Amino acid sequence: MVFWIALAAAGVLTLVPLPDLLEPLRPYWIGLVIIYWAMEVPDPIHLGGAFLLGLLLDLLTASLMGMHALSLVVLVYLVRRFRARMRFFPPWQQALAVLALLVNDRIIQLWALLLLGEPMPTWRYWLAPLVGMAVWPWLFLALDQARLASRQVERR
Amino acid sequence: MPIESSPVDSLSGQAPPSTARLMGYGFLAGLLMLLDQRGEYVPRIRAAAEHLVSPVYQVAEAPVEAVRSISTYGQSFEELREQNQAQRERLLVQAGDLQRLEALEEENRRLRSLLEATAGRDVQFRFAELVQVSLDPNSHQVLIDRGEDDGVFIGQAVIDGQGVMGQVESTTGGQARVRLISDPEHAIPVQILRTGQRTVALGTGEPGRLSMPNLPMQSDVRVGDRVVTSGLGERFPSGFPVAEVTAVERPSGAPFMNVDALPLATLDRGREVLLVLESSGEAPGGPPGVSSDTEEEAPDTATSADAGDDSS
Repeated sequence: MVFWIALAAAGVLTLVPLPDLLEPLRPYWIGLVIIYWAMEVPDPIHLGGAFLLGLLLDLLTASLMGMHALSLVVLVYLVRRFRARMRFFPPWQQALAVLALLVNDRIIQLWALLLLGEPMPTWRYWLAPLVGMAVWPWLFLALDQARLASRQVERR
Repeated sequence: MPIESSPVDSLSGQAPPSTARLMGYGFLAGLLMLLDQRGEYVPRIRAAAEHLVSPVYQVAEAPVEAVRSISTYGQSFEELREQNQAQRERLLVQAGDLQRLEALEEENRRLRSLLEATAGRDVQFRFAELVQVSLDPNSHQVLIDRGEDDGVFIGQAVIDGQGVMGQVESTTGGQARVRLISDPEHAIPVQILRTGQRTVALGTGEPGRLSMPNLPMQSDVRVGDRVVTSGLGERFPSGFPVAEVTAVERPSGAPFMNVDALPLATLDRGREVLLVLESSGEAPGGPPGVSSDTEEEAPDTATSADAGDDSS
């Protein structure tokens, strides 16, 4: 339940219009929630789930069909591969790992864009992963708290 | 989707997903992207699926709308009065232009009838607003708040107060997706206003640049030239401003010039747009219906020509 709410919130944050200057700074909200989901939860998201979610995101943001699907599938695959290690990283190290994941994701999306004939994006394109890294510890704490709270509610 | 968070607090005993499955999904995604770009199957499926997700936009738009309505309340009386004054002045100037336009139109019609040419098409506009959601900036598309129910159709031209924005790509009940002219896949038939030279303006992916790669070396193009729609291709009605030439380059040895142009429409900033409706619904092959034109013209004149500075 917590994750559906988190995903819905991430979806809204993805669609909220920002001023032009801030637009490239928008972190990959859905990606961050998915990283948490694949890393921290005992029954993590499957590749198929990530694929479907990516398709939905493609539909919503009118991007090329399959682009976010590919991006999320790779993200989930990598996180689940290194899950055992990433979980026990200290927060700053975890944030660095998240940065690496997000940069990797940007490279995958860039590849898809260049195939489409888009021009090479400006350096601002690479700012979003940095913002994502900065957001990560707070998102992590918030989702942890939310999960804890929802578990307590269930127990009562 | 197998996505549930069970409250069992053990480290998952699941093995990480196999590389084969990653490859499988990766291949599937790649195939989808390829088909979508080629325009096979996928765009049609997407257009159908959009009917399901269009309510999401309304939800996503809600917080923005709320902020906006609050900020409008906060606007001071003084500001509003100034705005009102400025707008009234602009309206007056435009009304003056419009009077002259009417005379020109009449003259044009007379000349055309002398030449026994088909009557020029009448153009109508319908107001629409952009849905305030941010789509993928690389998709070069925007959403507008009019859809099938309002008579929006696929391929309809969309302009704003300054120039051509793009064309409708897909519609749902109350919304339509518009592809902007800056999309690298988009081409718009244009002519240089000063010389009448016809060419095609291609999107480049940058919101501030169109490119016209098909102009022969000796053609007369200068920086600052106005580029308007030529009306060829039956998609965009003729005479709407599209762009202004910003750079002309004649590379030696090449058969064509490199001409760049700046789109006049505010592609990434606009808020209100106009849907263009040609009142003569001629089929591309069929004979132009002159009589039906003139019938429809009479009631239209009041609503038409809002922002269409038909300068050609």
